[in-house]
Amino acid sequence: MSSSINGATGGSGTNTAPARPLGELIFAGMIVCVGVVGFVAGAQIPIPPSAGVVGPRAFPFIVSGIMVAIGIGLVIQLLRGHTGAAEEGEDVDPDVKTDWLTVGKLVGFLALHIALIVPLGWPVAAAILFFGAAWSLGAKPWWRNAVIAVVLALILQFVFAGLLGVSLPAGFLLEGVEIFNG
Amino acid sequence: MALLEGFSVAMQPMYLLYALGGVLVGTAVGVLPGIGPAMTVALLMPITYSLDPTAAIIVFAGIYYGGMYGGSTTSILLNTPGESASIVTALEGNKMAKAGRGAAALATAAIGSFIAGTVATVLLSFVAPYVAEFAVQIGPTEYVALMIVAFLTVGALLGASVLRGLASLALGLFIALIGVDALTAQQRYTFGNPFLADGIDVVLVAVALFAVGEALYVASRLRHGPVKVIPVAGRWTNWMRKEDWKRSWKPWLRGTFIGFPVGTIPAGGADVATFLSYASERKLAKGERKKQFGKGAIEGVAGPESANNAAAAGVLVPLLTLGIPTTATAAMMLVAFQRYNIQPGPLLFEVEGALVWALIASLYVGNLMLLVLNLPLVGIWVKILQIPRPYLYSGILVFAAMGAFSVNFTPVDVFVLLVIGVLGFFMRRYGYPIAPMVVGLILGPIFEDQLRRSLAISQGDPTALVSTPIAATIYVVLIVIFVLSFWLRKRQRAMESEVVEETPAAAVDLKEGGK
Amino acid sequence: MSSVVLGYVPNALGDAAAEAAVHEARQRGATLVVVNTTRADRLVDPTYADDDDMSRLQGTLRTSGVDFTVHHGTSKDTAAEDVLDAAERHAAELIVIGLRHRTPVGKLIMGSTAQSILLGAACNVLAVKA
Repeated sequence: MSSSINGATGGSGTNTAPARPLGELIFAGMIVCVGVVGFVAGAQIPIPPSAGVVGPRAFPFIVSGIMVAIGIGLVIQLLRGHTGAAEEGEDVDPDVKTDWLTVGKLVGFLALHIALIVPLGWPVAAAILFFGAAWSLGAKPWWRNAVIAVVLALILQFVFAGLLGVSLPAGFLLEGVEIFNG
Repeated sequence: MALLEGFSVAMQPMYLLYALGGVLVGTAVGVLPGIGPAMTVALLMPITYSLDPTAAIIVFAGIYYGGMYGGSTTSILLNTPGESASIVTALEGNKMAKAGRGAAALATAAIGSFIAGTVATVLLSFVAPYVAEFAVQIGPTEYVALMIVAFLTVGALLGASVLRGLASLALGLFIALIGVDALTAQQRYTFGNPFLADGIDVVLVAVALFAVGEALYVASRLRHGPVKVIPVAGRWTNWMRKEDWKRSWKPWLRGTFIGFPVGTIPAGGADVATFLSYASERKLAKGERKKQFGKGAIEGVAGPESANNAAAAGVLVPLLTLGIPTTATAAMMLVAFQRYNIQPGPLLFEVEGALVWALIASLYVGNLMLLVLNLPLVGIWVKILQIPRPYLYSGILVFAAMGAFSVNFTPVDVFVLLVIGVLGFFMRRYGYPIAPMVVGLILGPIFEDQLRRSLAISQGDPTALVSTPIAATIYVVLIVIFVLSFWLRKRQRAMESEVVEETPAAAVDLKEGGK
Repeated sequence: MSSVVLGYVPNALGDAAAEAAVHEARQRGATLVVVNTTRADRLVDPTYADDDDMSRLQGTLRTSGVDFTVHHGTSKDTAAEDVLDAAERHAAELIVIGLRHRTPVGKLIMGSTAQSILLGAACNVLAVKA
């Protein structure tokens, strides 16, 4: 929702990228699909005899109906050429082509983080997430990135697990260290 | 009096410390690009679970007010508004800074924010109990009406596209449906998955949308190009000249009385208030001063900044008395209450009186802290802006992952975070606003409950929903709000483009290096 | 022709370094290569000279009479890498930088451009203290 005045002159109505409406169409189509699934799955919600005038199905049907209607409306709007204005922001450059590689790397490192929390412990997984994400976003030089990642992970583990008692698993490396365990 | 008891709680050293921490974090995130108060409250929610409710609410209130102060600093010094309500401040404030009057602009913004915040908090202390008293008498039908007003104003008025706002709202309502129906104990949209049977945690969705979605979106279009800071000249004791005081005090008060009522009605939150204040200051200015507008008129900073903070206090009226959030940050505050099993609404002042009055007292305290801290600490806020973006957004991701994991201490939640974060990325990319989804997610279950209750009373007759006088009035007000705000938005756009055209220097200041 | 590379920052220290660099370049009859780049990865970068700073510097350099070229703008590499890179390309016989005191913590967070240049340079480095 935040927007910057700096962008005011930079072509607001000109959506030049031809690939975008396709992605938007798919997104709008997915909204319709979720609505349809909502109807189908909603019809299978059992209604117990105790249910009053309005059972458990009514509101799901209303929401699904709204989704289908709005989704179709969006598809029509898109086909007529009214594309959405991508959100502006201070750190966002609206004129740059989408950097899918970086987005992919970030998603990948988050997935790696998820896989590593249990086997290696939270601090290790968090340090890898930070290092990987900062590297994907272009942090330089790598050793400073590594130092910050390790220090940050240890500080967070100490403050939140050690002091505040949030049960973050310390992992086999730090299991014996008192201050990293709640 | 209850407020005095509130003060006796809020003035305890421990809670003062929490309030200080809250306003510092709040100002920092208000200054930082890409991080807003809503994201911060969401990120902090899972990890503040071990605090007692009063402490947590005081921290969040500090963040809420602090964010408003921080936003004005960046818009004045850098012409990059930290949040949408500071856009108008950037118009005049940045011109003042360029003309070497940055210190005066910062001072009038901070003092105006303090005055407005304090007066508006006084208004809140007096108005809220009356609204609560009125709200106790209304039934489910009226609640349905009020929530429809909140849904439609947040969904249709906040973003640029009405349909996209409503789609976002519907997505939120849909996710809220996943889990077990509270009235009949039937599973809905769980597809036999025991994990979905518990429903999807609101905090998880909020963190995913606000933090992960934002980080992915920024990563996809990372901005390159520094903005230079305008050095603040002089010591802060002589920042405001006598003339500045004379020119500022009326806009401060006018801004306050414009901002507070606008904040209480769900018509788009603080940015509408800042625009209204700016427009009225511009209209009221005479002669030489009128010509200064667009070139650095101090009234154009004093008024909108006051309106901004007054509106922030106004937003708390429907939040505390009716349980209806009208901005993204207010929605996160509501979640904070719910996590402690406190339901904001008409009964809040009776059931949780001590907590509410401690919250209101901490708002007074926080405002004073912000005034004292804001001016001397500008140098530190400017330092924060030197954090490289890769580290900033990596930090946000780590915090988000930590918050998600600590909801239930299972990696599955972090996976849900990732999935909804990707959804948030595409929503930003295709221009779907985030706030309606969060509001839908939070109010959805309450709305369904009230809707089913009112239909049960009327035995399924839907016309009963509009037939009580109060409900009918609310719907009429809704239509008026819509007409008014569409008119206002038109004016706002016209004025913004006018101001930018008048002074092209305002438009482009992101010059990249020569080569 | 020989050259002297100046790692410039827009503050008093940078101006002192510039003065020393001019002196060295004049004595050696060398070209002065001024380097000031930013990675543009943050909202505020106080070490990056804006156009006003640059034209002011160029004004003083012109009056000093030494031959000079300027590398100024955004870059993918760190400031230290850019200075070293320029030194290598121009086969510089001297690099001039400003050096100020940093606390260990500050060095960890902000890193030390000066240190990287000192360690990475193939030629002599003149570190100017303000």
